[in-house]
Amino acid sequence: MVLLGGIACKRGSEAPPAPAAPATTGTTAKGQALHTFSRFEYAAVAAATERLLPRDEDPGALDADVPLYIDRMLQTPELKQMHQDFVTGLAALERRAQRMFQTGFAQATPAQQDELLAIFKDSPQGSGEAHFYELLMVLSLEGFLGDPSYGGNQGKVGWRLMGFDMVGTVAMAPPEGYDGPKCLRECGSHR
Amino acid sequence: MSKPEVDVCIVGSGAGGAPLALELGRAGFKVVVLEKGAHYQPRDFVHDEILNSRRNFFMPLPWEEPHLVRRGPKERYERSNSAWTANCVGGGTVHMSGYFYRLKPVDFRLRSTLGPIPGSTLADWPIAYEDLAPFYDKAEAEMGVSGQAVAHPFLEPRSGPYPLPPLDTHPISGEIDKVCSALGWHSLPTARGIISRPYKGRSACAYCALCGSYGCEMGAKSGTNASLIPAALATGNVELRPGCMARSIEVDTRGRARSVVYLDPDGVAQEQPARIIVSSCTAVESARLLLNSTSNRFPKGLANGSGLVGKNLLFSSFGESRATFRVSKQKAARPWLADPSPFVNRSLQDFYLMPDTRFGFRKGGTLGFMWTHPNPIFAAVGMAGSGKSGVFGKELKDRMRAYRDSRILQFEVYAEFLPTPGTSVTVESGVKDKYGIPVAAITLDRHPMDFAATRFLVDRGEEVLMRLDPDDVQRVGIAGETTILQHGTCRFGDDPATSVLDKNCRAHEVPNLYVVDGSFMPTGGSVPSTLTIAANSFRVADHLVRTLKG
Repeated sequence: MVLLGGIACKRGSEAPPAPAAPATTGTTAKGQALHTFSRFEYAAVAAATERLLPRDEDPGALDADVPLYIDRMLQTPELKQMHQDFVTGLAALERRAQRMFQTGFAQATPAQQDELLAIFKDSPQGSGEAHFYELLMVLSLEGFLGDPSYGGNQGKVGWRLMGFDMVGTVAMAPPEGYDGPKCLRECGSHR
Repeated sequence: MSKPEVDVCIVGSGAGGAPLALELGRAGFKVVVLEKGAHYQPRDFVHDEILNSRRNFFMPLPWEEPHLVRRGPKERYERSNSAWTANCVGGGTVHMSGYFYRLKPVDFRLRSTLGPIPGSTLADWPIAYEDLAPFYDKAEAEMGVSGQAVAHPFLEPRSGPYPLPPLDTHPISGEIDKVCSALGWHSLPTARGIISRPYKGRSACAYCALCGSYGCEMGAKSGTNASLIPAALATGNVELRPGCMARSIEVDTRGRARSVVYLDPDGVAQEQPARIIVSSCTAVESARLLLNSTSNRFPKGLANGSGLVGKNLLFSSFGESRATFRVSKQKAARPWLADPSPFVNRSLQDFYLMPDTRFGFRKGGTLGFMWTHPNPIFAAVGMAGSGKSGVFGKELKDRMRAYRDSRILQFEVYAEFLPTPGTSVTVESGVKDKYGIPVAAITLDRHPMDFAATRFLVDRGEEVLMRLDPDDVQRVGIAGETTILQHGTCRFGDDPATSVLDKNCRAHEVPNLYVVDGSFMPTGGSVPSTLTIAANSFRVADHLVRTLKG
């Protein structure tokens, strides 16, 4: 059953042209363009998200392209403050890794990375560390379990893990060709 | 710039604004409806959790349009987006779950029934259930409600059956019926503002399972966007202006409301004069609009000579527990667990009013049973937790795998929220939203009796869950409030010294100003109030059409 024909967004041909792609800040090892993080920062984000959602018998954060989702999502104009807080928190994580293990977060062992993440998680409510951990976790879960058009949840691996692919009787997921970021840009603002 | 005068200007297009727009348009009056949000069409409603539930598709962002909220008059305010309902044409009726209960006769005379309650500003309504009943009939028929009335001790009088038969339910609903029956309680089908059959040119529910928190792409959910607003526009007398944020209501030299000043979609200030002005933008936001509408005549805010605008704020007392059934363990004995049917639609109202105070309260409320919301990000954020009890890594993934193997049944409590002198809305002149308008500041000062009632209801609900033989029962809370259900800030009554509005929801102090969202309600009742707000607006429309026709 087709519930939604065509592009599921209220503006069709009269839509303004998409804004020019922001400048690239680097590329991933797989050659994907980055718009928020440097290659160095991306390596730390990739390592951290993979510790939150590690690959085991089921796919993990990197399989779903969670860090790429975060890189793209932090370009949303309304999330400017979140972007700033995230980058500041990431730098603090990096400094802490250098201080404790004399190495970058991405190069630390998984056990060391877990130890650092746990310190941030358990920091007092309202602290910069706790705030960064919350942003990292929430954005990771959005990237793991959100619509694949935002760049994460590739192969719908997150939905399969949670059983969301089994919910309901009719087309639960947006239709093929759905462009979430476009709707977020054009419908999701109340201007 | 000032626009040509119209008969009526309504601020808000939700459960309160839309019935009035429809009835006035039908009667031939020229109406302008100002709505701060966008006018979404069914094709805009996509099952995208990020867009719908985690960004500003429905809810404003707390750093752009905050509500300030504090728990207690001595606490600090925090910026929040709680106590907003959806900002779009149709308001909160667009992404509602559509639990369309009626109030009961006792809700109209709770003060007389309970007597004085120390610490509460409880008051009777100036009208009785019988005055509202014909308009409940009308609201149900115009919007489309599916349900089945069954006999129980607190059944409110009805003139006839629901317009539509009940929606299909999951097999577990029959199990709940059996368990309640064994306890001597009455399991009731929950009436829904969702159409179970094609109705008035709208197509029926497709049982998609992503209902609450989403707009309905079928148009089967009976939000005003799908029912009353299209009918109002079809009269040719109603002009809907989305993207228009009301800033103030202006008065003339005689103290009558003259116009609404608003910011249009380009942010340009416009003035819409009208013979009658109606505020219907939620109990919190209507209070904010009146309090921000200061003048020489009304220095404390429009219609606020009494100082009562924003007082007596009510939400709905909230409690919840969840029962988890592990499908792999239980499916041999209970193969029906895996049935995908999204609706449980069962309620308990046996404890709506207790015969005595032996449990520390008399006015109880309603338990509504439903599956937990299937939004995966929302569920996973809950599993990850926070702080020292938070988890990540293998533990988090194990929880996700367990979730995949689960069906989780929950109940929600809708219990009385007693009015107190402390729970109120003010405006904070030092904090402005993105439009430059001072924001609403909410203080919660809960009455302890609310918690006694909610705890009792949660205990009863858990008895039902336990008897269904789940693998686990978890209590979510007994001391919360549902802030999308809001009332009381311009309570109606016969005495101008103790109420803002008269019994027709007209301001005592401003003869051509009406408020028709939940603000008028001196008590919230112990059910979600959407249908009551719509029914009351049809009642006010009946009065207003007769008044305007002179």
